[in-house]
Amino acid sequence: MVVELLLDRLANAFADDRFGYLYRDGGSAEAAALGALALGAHGRDTSTALDWLQTQQKDDGGIPVLPSLDQPRWPTSLALWAFQSAGREAAAARAIDYLLDHHGIPVDRSELLGHDSTLIGWSWVDATHSWVEPTGYALIGLREAGRADHERCRRGVEMLLDRCLPSGGWNYGNTRVMSNMLRPFPATTGVALLGLAGEPMVPAIERSLDYLRATVSSLKAPVSLSWSLLALAAWHREAPAMELIETSVRAPGRRPPDPVHDALLALAASRAAPEPTPEEEP
Amino acid sequence: MSESTKLSRRALLQGLGVIATGAGAVTVAKLLDERENGLEAEVSVLRASDYTADLEAIVLRGFEQLGVHEAELRGKRVLLKPNLVETALGEPHINTHPAVVLAVARAFRQLGADPFVAEGQGHRRDSWLVLEESGMVDSLEAAELDFVDLNHDDVVQVPNDSGLTNLAELILPKTLVEADWVVSLPKIKTHHWAGVTCAMKNFFGVMPGIAYGWPKNVLHQEGIHQSIVDINAAVAPDFAIADGIIGMEGDGPIMGDPKPLGCLVMGRNLPALDATCARLMGLNPMGATYLPLSSGFLGPIMEGNVTQRGVAIEELARRFAVVDYPHTRALRDT
Repeated sequence: MVVELLLDRLANAFADDRFGYLYRDGGSAEAAALGALALGAHGRDTSTALDWLQTQQKDDGGIPVLPSLDQPRWPTSLALWAFQSAGREAAAARAIDYLLDHHGIPVDRSELLGHDSTLIGWSWVDATHSWVEPTGYALIGLREAGRADHERCRRGVEMLLDRCLPSGGWNYGNTRVMSNMLRPFPATTGVALLGLAGEPMVPAIERSLDYLRATVSSLKAPVSLSWSLLALAAWHREAPAMELIETSVRAPGRRPPDPVHDALLALAASRAAPEPTPEEEP
Repeated sequence: MSESTKLSRRALLQGLGVIATGAGAVTVAKLLDERENGLEAEVSVLRASDYTADLEAIVLRGFEQLGVHEAELRGKRVLLKPNLVETALGEPHINTHPAVVLAVARAFRQLGADPFVAEGQGHRRDSWLVLEESGMVDSLEAAELDFVDLNHDDVVQVPNDSGLTNLAELILPKTLVEADWVVSLPKIKTHHWAGVTCAMKNFFGVMPGIAYGWPKNVLHQEGIHQSIVDINAAVAPDFAIADGIIGMEGDGPIMGDPKPLGCLVMGRNLPALDATCARLMGLNPMGATYLPLSSGFLGPIMEGNVTQRGVAIEELARRFAVVDYPHTRALRDT
């Protein structure tokens, strides 16, 4: 079973302190958070990953991307998701404080840009603009922590919906630049839809789910595939998840193993069977 | 970098606003000529009709013209940085063509070097999807080339000595810093913000996304042109080979139209190479602000200071369309 292979690789990496990107020595906050989520979703021990994440948490509750850097601290959202899932309330509360205290920078509207640049979500780096992925991550974490109704989350939802492309899906966060509409990406669309899971269905979400369903079967790259599958499962859309995950793991080509890839694939596998929608329940 | 040098470059930047209005161009040209006093560079333009041509032989011929030999490269670890931005079905002119990357890798191997490919896309975080969709993954397989995702590499913080932006330090990928030779493999394109994107702008793609985000908003916020110069000063690239077989005009770097130019452009000095590429596109290099900012500091850009090898620019030059906004108009003052 390929998922067991992924989980074993992750567990060994946490035991050996080799969960930097590409399983390099040391750690990365993103790998620790997603790794803990994946291991926890399959009933494995998450304590090493979560303990390490807590050692990385700064006084303001934020968690830097790498131990060698003080900034940026965008993985705090993913860490919140992991802390909350594991019931580590104190660490989660500090991460919530950090997220509610940080936001992307609004800029004056420009005719050169299609999106409403005054709307506020979350940024990758402090004192820069709001973008789709960090806003999606923050909404996932805060929703998991029961804060979906917080004013910041409402503004974040508004921002994400504004950045949705007219044909469905999201790219990194622009819609139109000058005279051209940009193209959607599967990974960012998956992150955004997961961040919006629980919100009422609106045409932008429906179109984005259609885009993902049309795209997902062609994906082998772990990051795009996993976020797409996680989003489709969250919105109760079927996809041949296990078949696609198996293909991705068994035919990596020259792609080296990476803990973020492994964690995302294992997490997607844990949610592979979509829950029946209320209408489908007997 | 002394404070007075930083200030003089900032003053030049302010002065470049004058170029955009068309007035004062002669004055700035004179100033740049003085700044480039004694600086010279060679750039080779090599005809390459399409991607099925023997590109490896063409690259080796360029090496010969530019005095790049085995003695300089044997045993060296060579980082090849293509321009992989996004992918879209039927639009291969967005990215450096895989056939060019493959040919360059093979040419470096002929000279005893150990090349590998590295990139840190500015828009898409999922490098492997871009590699798959662009066809690059097949080239990596065919040539048994390693790929390093610079967005997720270990990092090194270096002082921002040129200081055109307000960034005190730049965060660079460890793989880049440890490479023996760094080679830019850009696509020749117009760019809706920077005017021209070629060998120098291509190095936005070495800045790790985990530190700068997607898009690399910190760098845009600090000023595209200033960031280009700071990054190139810190990276100190060794060589560039630009894919001008089919370039892009109009709303580049991703939404523009294909524009055949039929050449590869090679050189050791990146400002000189980019200035040559601008001339091949029928554009005024002084209209791409990062080039006059680089002039005399990172290299020469004035025509008289760049020795042309291979095919004459006039034989291949074609007028590339640029988006019509105030910040791009100076490109057309040729």
